[in-house]
Amino acid sequence: MVNGRVTRRFVLKAGVAAAASSPWWLARSSHAQRAKKLVFWHVPNFTPLADELQKQQVYEFAKQAGLKDTDVEYAVVANEQFQAKLAAAIEAGNPPDVTRLYESNVQYYAANGHLLDMTDLVDKMRREPKGIFESAMTSILYKGRAMGVPLAVNPWPVHARLDLLEQAHLEYPKTWDEFIETSKKIQSPPRLFAFGMCLGLVEDTTDNVMNLLWCYGGKMVEADNKTVVMNSPENLAGVKVIEAMFKTHKIIPPGAISWDNSGNNKAYQSKQAAFVMNPSSIYAYLDGNDKDLQKVTGLYPVPAGPKGTVNQIDTWAYGAFKKNPNPELAKGLLDYLMQPANYDKIIQSTGGRWVPVYKRLFESPFWTGKPAFKHFIKMAETGVPVSYAGSPTPAAGEVLNTQVIPKMIQRVLVENWEPAKALDECHKKIAEIYTRTEKG
Amino acid sequence: MALQANSTQTYRGNVLVEAPALPRRPRASLGLTREARLAYAILAPTLLVIVFLVAYPFVAAIYLSLQSKMVGAPGRFVGLANYAELFRDEVFLRTAWNSVVYTVVAVLLKFVIGLAMALVLDQERPFNNLFRTLLFVPWAVPVVIVALNWRWIYDDLSGFLNNFLITFHLTSNIISWLSDPHLAMGCVVAVVVWAGTPFYAMTFLAGLQAIAKELYEAAEIDGASIVQQFFYITVPRLKTIFITTVMLSTIWTATNLTFVLILTRGGPANRTEIFPHLAYEIALGARRLGMGAAVSLVFFPVLVIFITLLTRRMLREREE
Amino acid sequence: MGGSVARTRRILKWTGNILLVVMLVWTLVPFYWMLATSLKKDKEIYGFEATLIPRQPTLDAYRRIFVQTPFLKYLRNSLLIAVGTTVASLVLGSLGAYALARLKFPGRGIIARGLIFTYLVPQSLLFIPLFAVMSFLTLIDTREGLFLAYLGITLPFCTWLLLGYFRSVPLELEEAALVDGCSRLATLVRIILPMSLPALAVVAFFSFTQAWNEFIYANVLVNSVDVRTITTGLTLFIVEDVFFWGPMMAASVMATIPPVLVYLAFQRWVVKGLTLGAVKG
Repeated sequence: MVNGRVTRRFVLKAGVAAAASSPWWLARSSHAQRAKKLVFWHVPNFTPLADELQKQQVYEFAKQAGLKDTDVEYAVVANEQFQAKLAAAIEAGNPPDVTRLYESNVQYYAANGHLLDMTDLVDKMRREPKGIFESAMTSILYKGRAMGVPLAVNPWPVHARLDLLEQAHLEYPKTWDEFIETSKKIQSPPRLFAFGMCLGLVEDTTDNVMNLLWCYGGKMVEADNKTVVMNSPENLAGVKVIEAMFKTHKIIPPGAISWDNSGNNKAYQSKQAAFVMNPSSIYAYLDGNDKDLQKVTGLYPVPAGPKGTVNQIDTWAYGAFKKNPNPELAKGLLDYLMQPANYDKIIQSTGGRWVPVYKRLFESPFWTGKPAFKHFIKMAETGVPVSYAGSPTPAAGEVLNTQVIPKMIQRVLVENWEPAKALDECHKKIAEIYTRTEKG
Repeated sequence: MALQANSTQTYRGNVLVEAPALPRRPRASLGLTREARLAYAILAPTLLVIVFLVAYPFVAAIYLSLQSKMVGAPGRFVGLANYAELFRDEVFLRTAWNSVVYTVVAVLLKFVIGLAMALVLDQERPFNNLFRTLLFVPWAVPVVIVALNWRWIYDDLSGFLNNFLITFHLTSNIISWLSDPHLAMGCVVAVVVWAGTPFYAMTFLAGLQAIAKELYEAAEIDGASIVQQFFYITVPRLKTIFITTVMLSTIWTATNLTFVLILTRGGPANRTEIFPHLAYEIALGARRLGMGAAVSLVFFPVLVIFITLLTRRMLREREE
Repeated sequence: MGGSVARTRRILKWTGNILLVVMLVWTLVPFYWMLATSLKKDKEIYGFEATLIPRQPTLDAYRRIFVQTPFLKYLRNSLLIAVGTTVASLVLGSLGAYALARLKFPGRGIIARGLIFTYLVPQSLLFIPLFAVMSFLTLIDTREGLFLAYLGITLPFCTWLLLGYFRSVPLELEEAALVDGCSRLATLVRIILPMSLPALAVVAFFSFTQAWNEFIYANVLVNSVDVRTITTGLTLFIVEDVFFWGPMMAASVMATIPPVLVYLAFQRWVVKGLTLGAVKG
């Protein structure tokens, strides 16, 4: 500038402008993040009523414990974002007090010393008349202690279109061979495919695929949680069956390759698939949205393979984090929520999505009045987690979360690899994960 | 004073000159001129924001990539081990290739379509404001929604595309857009282009508006054809904007994971796996933060070189 | 010569119009689909009964949003933060660009060139250390925290863009004004800014859009409903493995309206034929 007059007025004006739009409030100190005495992260339970009830119960407990409403933080976190949020919160040393954890997450956070020991409460639950489904214990036990509170045990039945079976004068197939034959008879592609097997790069695929492999005697890892057996001849047999279903018999919709976890739900709900392996979220959805379809929906155990029928369950548990300045409050809250009377209210309001962990509750008219659930009790008792024959350890969780098995099945179905070759690659990856996680 | 590079030059008339200095005052005790102090005062908020909210996390991320660290567990320094593991992985090569193809094709398409859009909107016609707004709207929609909406459009049986094609008898078969290994990448890129082109159109249009009409009129009087006008007047003046936009868009396209996450999750069979999605899967799925950071940063040197080359090119242009 | 130019112009005009129509179709069809889905009954959304045109249009999805979710709160939060981000980006961006374009100080070159590099690191990686910083500043779960995080996203680009524009404003105009006794700030406001309106419009579009659509930081930095923005609110319509498409599309339709209004408002600044009137020769 020829005349570089930097007037004081200019400086003043510039300073004011800069200050007005800059974060002067950084200086404030009154905003304390741990003003809350009880922080609960709620992942939506599927029905608005259930969500509302849960919220009510949390606040009820808070009042009982002498807290004000403003002492409680009740945050609703969508399922898709949960991992990201929790990771950030834990890394910053600011996790919630109580939240829901899925399967292997309990053991993962327990192994890193983040969770409170809940053995006392769980023992109390087991002492209830008829106790709880012991299958729920596999995911919450870490070094013999219960590090989470089992909330629900969810079998993965086959949702079956009874009307189509009736039309074709067929029974629900008892073996996988029958299943293939029945499928060919009742389907009418491309409108209706028989088997809505999830084959996308999502968790449901691992669940569907492994469930079938178990019926052929296969499994991912031995009960010692160390010996990986993915490339066993039994698994190979099972994978070949899936390959045949997709390529030869064509009973699976080709679009299943790009499904997300809601793909098989949508397929069944919109009458594009006749058989779908999924927790009863579909059934519960139909309860509120398509009662006609619900009437003709049966919930069955998985067909048997040469080695019998094996059914899957998955478990959800509440976890309480150690970094809680008020652990008694967290424990008290969980105790309150798991009291059978309170618990049952929420379970019933999910319309069949959540299966109660207390055996006794399963005998109430709510369940016995639903003939579709008649197989459920057996499935809940004898079901195994996706990590069979191991338990839901952090390694199993990583296998699930990184889509190792879906990638394997896509190698076979999309890239036309030999099943043996794909299984070998899969085996190596899983073994690497288990070895690495063992080292810690 | 020797002509320095870019940032201290400005225009006098149409000529590039060195920005004149203030008459030198005796240095204040702090060693800074009043002008400098003013500049720092003005830039302070911006610099603070950048340092705390971008630079620091960035450095933290680099450090993270040199550790073996899982969520919630203490980290262990391992140097370049994460990167070494990465380069040994065969999925990595596929991902690298996908990332390059994805980015290059998407940016190219956005550039061409964006330029066409800007030129069209620059023409005079009634209701131009309305058209401009309508064409910019894809950019206004949250990326998550764009991805979900398109996922729905591509859906096998309930989607718009297949329904449309079948209703109008253009095909009798259902096309599995996102499940077909040959189509998936194209489908994803189409969505990226749909969502990102308005940005190009916007900035190019702003650049077009700044070119004085007189220049075109003068050229026309001198007998230049439309094409000549375009290449000799329009393009040189837009070069800076071209380069800036391409640069930024390349970075944003290469590092965006939402489209792949929602449309294909990297499938089918790794056909659409790109670095940011792989990093996300590793950092949050496998909970290996250190490794995830390494995957995110692997592209970093490439992008830095790319930016440096472009910036230097841009500066050289300006000196002509 | 004039004739052929006129003919070329006409060809260009019609090509332009055809292209415009094509682009409008290509742009608007997905919006049609979004709107149509939001007006359909659930049965018409899924499966082979899916329709191109809603046969039984219903406003049920919209009702569900307003009745069952605190959508208006999300809207309010998003607006506050987006407007704040836009205003701050305009002000701070202009000031910063002015400093970089017209003032001399050490580090000037580095800062100007370094601005772009801040975009190299993706949000999907930054969010964890960023969360730690925000935690430390006790800005978790606050609108101010999000506002700051978004400034980190918008300021570098806005400053850079305006820097380029300011540099193209000839010095004579300001020199003349300064000689006449104007302060620097006045020259910025009265001379430079009016010549940079198109760039300012882009800054406004960009900042508003970034703040409005941002998802990752909004998800991680905010918990309570009182502070939540639209983008994270939208994903709450995905409950585990069930997507509530109708309400989600309805919410998306409504979420698209404010940015469209912003674009309409700032279109006035994108005016053709801004002549640098005082240019000599």
